[in-house]
Amino acid sequence: MRQIWAVLRREYIERVRTKGFILSTIAIPVLMVGFIALSAFMAMRAERFDREWVLVDRTGRIGAEVAEAIGAAGYAADLLGGEATLEDLDARILDDDLEAYIVLDEATLRDGAFSYRSDDSPGSTRRAVLEGIVVREVLRQRIAGLESPGEVQALLDRGGHLEFERVTDDPSGADEISEAEKISGIATGLAGVFILYISMLIYGAFVLRAVLDEKRNRVVEVVISAVTPGRLMFGKILGVGSMGLTQLGIWAASAALLGLLGVPMLAAALAQEGALAEFAHLLPGVGTLLLLLAYFILGFFLYAALFAAVGAMCSSEEEAQQAQVPVMMLLIIPFVMQMYSLEGGGFEWMEWAALFPFFTPILMFPRAASGSVEWWMVAISLALMALAVVATAWVAGRIYRVGILMQGKRPTLREVVRWVRQA
Amino acid sequence: MSELAVRLTCVSKSFGAHAAVSDLDLEIPRGSITGLLGPNGSGKTTTIRMMMAILLPDRGQVELLGGFPDFDRRSRVGYLPEERGVYEKMKVLDQLAFLGEIRGIDRRVARSRAMRWLERLGLSDWADKKVQTLSKGMQQKVQFVGTVLHEPELLILDEPFSGLDPINQEVLEAIVLEERRRGATILFSTHLMEQAERICERVCLIASSRKVLDGDLREIKRRERSGVVAVEFEGDDRWLSSLDVAGIEEVGHAHHLTLGPRTDSARVLAAAAAAGVGVRRFEVLEPTLREIFVSHAGVPADEEPVLLAAGGAR
Repeated sequence: MRQIWAVLRREYIERVRTKGFILSTIAIPVLMVGFIALSAFMAMRAERFDREWVLVDRTGRIGAEVAEAIGAAGYAADLLGGEATLEDLDARILDDDLEAYIVLDEATLRDGAFSYRSDDSPGSTRRAVLEGIVVREVLRQRIAGLESPGEVQALLDRGGHLEFERVTDDPSGADEISEAEKISGIATGLAGVFILYISMLIYGAFVLRAVLDEKRNRVVEVVISAVTPGRLMFGKILGVGSMGLTQLGIWAASAALLGLLGVPMLAAALAQEGALAEFAHLLPGVGTLLLLLAYFILGFFLYAALFAAVGAMCSSEEEAQQAQVPVMMLLIIPFVMQMYSLEGGGFEWMEWAALFPFFTPILMFPRAASGSVEWWMVAISLALMALAVVATAWVAGRIYRVGILMQGKRPTLREVVRWVRQA
Repeated sequence: MSELAVRLTCVSKSFGAHAAVSDLDLEIPRGSITGLLGPNGSGKTTTIRMMMAILLPDRGQVELLGGFPDFDRRSRVGYLPEERGVYEKMKVLDQLAFLGEIRGIDRRVARSRAMRWLERLGLSDWADKKVQTLSKGMQQKVQFVGTVLHEPELLILDEPFSGLDPINQEVLEAIVLEERRRGATILFSTHLMEQAERICERVCLIASSRKVLDGDLREIKRRERSGVVAVEFEGDDRWLSSLDVAGIEEVGHAHHLTLGPRTDSARVLAAAAAAGVGVRRFEVLEPTLREIFVSHAGVPADEEPVLLAAGGAR
């Protein structure tokens, strides 16, 4: 136990101290902040409003209300009567004196159509805002002529309300999932797939390198005179794993901090009140996060054991590059399958493929996160993975024990099988 | 407790068609200091690696500290491999503390012990430096500290002095002898005959995978008499011609007489007395380890015979 702890501690501290670790740990949150700031900047820039508009009202009825609503939406428009000539306004636009002008006429009162003249096409936000304002004012005008206009107008002001009811054959409604939760599940699942795939691949490769380095510089001959190979391997895997968890933890914490502080600020900056509520819906639940952690830990152990065995078999970097390909394929295949099924091409059998322990993290997590598999499937997948970890560690441990002291050419597959049988 | 620190019984190991060690019997008593001598490629390192169970013998039996070299026994050994392995990116003191810790020493104790050793070897300024910034010789000293830090019962050192300058060789030699006084058994391999002669009590000579000779160095020397008498005298040297010796050679002021079957040293002394010459020095020369090795193996251990080196598998 003490030896495992010593190996773990050494592995962890030596790794966490490296410049590479510190840089990559800092770089990712910085990139996240940068990305969010950039997209916020782009969004604001797209809706930059720097020059005034002119509103030409030929109806003589809704101009004042529309101009006021435009002002309330954060823009500004000078109201002109029908006397302004379009040629003058066009000229002002070409002189960069005016950004755009809007013309309301009889057609506007009839069916809500109005013209927006500018040398640049309006962005989608601007288009939607203006359409909303104009239609609302037109409706107000026309409702005013109806019987009991007050009631209709109140209805109009309050706006519509969409109420969603799920169609289900389960009368209890126990496993009812709201639409927002479902979207959140899909987003979480996708993010989880990427996190699992990249972290297992990278941290697995760290294990391989750790084993290979120790073998190549022959330190292992001294260490192995005091520590059993099994403990050494276990300690190394735990050390690299702790480093991985530290890094992921730092990233998760900075993401959470960003979510708590950054997003409300962003939403406030964009003056979109709904954004915050929408964002809150997208956050994954605690259960989902725990499941992600469980899949990461089990998956890491599974792949780390394989990578350790590969590292012990090889004597050089080049050999290792080749020898790790089969292990990497075990990760790449489910990843490709999962990407395909996100495109809408999922198959029923992929749920069952997700029970194969080496595929489980990447195939099962997104299904569990979006609630598209039964809970007992998830439970079985976890149990199978735990079994697979034990079995893989046993086989890998035997390969490691022999391989780590073997110098010279890479063993053939038959020799490796013999190591496992004999050791 | 077994009297023997190491016992090899009829041990053989080959790599492919190349026999690295053939039918080796070796016994190393506790408390002794033994040199494993032989030219490069003669099987020294393979023998040592089998003692540490890094290699398993094809045939024969290896006993370390009284039994199979399992982890418990191996952790009581201080092993310095031939290929110097260090964690290059680790700081010197951290590395030593780690090596102590995996052998069951408390980390703080290991650190303070390591620091004392570093001070002694003049490396205390380097304690917080990464190992890779040290010179090869300094790295070797650090690694040596790692070998003795846990006060092992047995030190197995593979070419511990190679690559060191004479001053550092002497420092390490002194430490090895000190470890011996602490009660440790010491086994080291070398191809430096003079050095082995200086510090070993016992030697085992290996050539071309086979043991040539082993045992107590003084006994070997007595047994392997050179058959040469050195005489220095004043007076006429005609009496020499009356002796029935195999050869006479003038070396400086002395005459080296190679004794023949009918003449022993006593007869030479008697002849000198009878001739009435003034004998200043009369010495039965002991053979050097080098001469013994050459007389048994045909080649000196510190030359690299092409044939042997070519087969050099570890």
